[in-house]
Amino acid sequence: MLGLDGVVGAVVGGLIGAFIIANVMLTTTAIAGPWAKRKITASFTDRIAVNRVGPFGLLIIVADAVRLLSKELIVPDGVDRPAWDLAPIVITFSALIGFAVIPFGSGLHLADPETGVVFVFAAASIASIGVVMAGYASNNKYSLLGGLRAIASNIAYEIPLIVTAASVVIFAGTLQMSEIVAVQRQPLVTFAGVTIPQWFAIVNPFAFALFTLANLAEIGRNPFDLPEAPTEIVAGFQTEYSSVYFVLLYLGEFIHIFLGGAIAATLFLGGPAGPVLPGFVWFYLKMWAFFLFTQWARSAVPRLRIDQFLNAGWKGMLVLSFANLALTAILVGVIV
Amino acid sequence: MNQWIAVGALGVVAVGIPLGMMAASAMLRPTVPEQGKAATYESGEVPTGTARVQFNIQYYMIALLFVIFDVETVLIFPWTVIYRPALEEGVSLAAVLAPMFVFLGVLVVGLVYAWRNGAVEWVESPRAQRQKTES
Repeated sequence: MLGLDGVVGAVVGGLIGAFIIANVMLTTTAIAGPWAKRKITASFTDRIAVNRVGPFGLLIIVADAVRLLSKELIVPDGVDRPAWDLAPIVITFSALIGFAVIPFGSGLHLADPETGVVFVFAAASIASIGVVMAGYASNNKYSLLGGLRAIASNIAYEIPLIVTAASVVIFAGTLQMSEIVAVQRQPLVTFAGVTIPQWFAIVNPFAFALFTLANLAEIGRNPFDLPEAPTEIVAGFQTEYSSVYFVLLYLGEFIHIFLGGAIAATLFLGGPAGPVLPGFVWFYLKMWAFFLFTQWARSAVPRLRIDQFLNAGWKGMLVLSFANLALTAILVGVIV
Repeated sequence: MNQWIAVGALGVVAVGIPLGMMAASAMLRPTVPEQGKAATYESGEVPTGTARVQFNIQYYMIALLFVIFDVETVLIFPWTVIYRPALEEGVSLAAVLAPMFVFLGVLVVGLVYAWRNGAVEWVESPRAQRQKTES
């Protein structure tokens, strides 16, 4: 890259790539958080939402950024200082680093290690440590409950998530992201001149449904948004956060939603594959489609209670995901 | 090797962005030293006691179960990677499938045991049961 060789070239090239990816995700989150989320929810509830500042209210993004960054940082009594300060950094970091192995298409693929699938799940899971740090360090009962709920939901739904991803790995026979995308590019059937590609969502829609549900729980969105649950425990683990710390928690959560969408798109929806438009555009659209899905669920589906939620996880999702794994293994054994 | 240098570069950027935003905010924001607002938020009431309280044991039970299943998923992954290549090389289906089904079977027995002992059942405190409004 750039005609530079050796370690220096790798470091410089890596930094440039990392900078591009981080900026793409920051811009996406800036559009999604202050603007798109309000507009989408307003459409669902038949309102107009932000429309005063700039065209379609788009400049609200700038206004909100300045407003939130220039708020006073209130440090409540009795917070556990290093942990309370570190939690926003940990949450943002874990969501961003997952994008290192995601193939965006059009050549934008920072790293392609042979253990890509394992890495991306490992990176995304670090966020729950940040949530627990925030919840416990805040010295607030709502925050503590939010942190405990976050860890319970993460560990109940992480195993279904990973086991369902393992069923994709059985199909593809590799953990490398680029290889998984390449396998999905092969044709499944040709029907009346239209070739349907071998996307895993088409090959195994049951696994895709399981993965999407577990993904919603993993990123803590409705109907599984128990860690925040604004009508029950104020704002959950982020109750005591203000100013830039609040921005970072919010940023981390939104990047996490898009990371969830990126993983689903890569494993099940053919990654950057798609007709006419360039790969990056398709991948970006697929991530936004997942975001739109989370926002639809936010407007349409009521929240579960914590005991219902954990029962559904341990008794339903876990059993179904292992059944899916076993059936996929038998199916692959029969067709190969 | 280059792959992990690039991942590390994103790690540096991913730590740099939050730190940069914190620095920018530190230069912009006002500081008004006034103690009333630093009180812990408890919906407007005067806060009582600390938040380091006893909580439902259920969270620990689930965490214990999780450790078992997490180790298991770690052991499943190598099998999923070699499964299809092994079949394509002509290893018989029984030879690749049977060991993993035995392994999964042991875990299913474990899950059934935990289930029947009520480890995955949400334990309600007597107070929560008294306050229940639905059947």
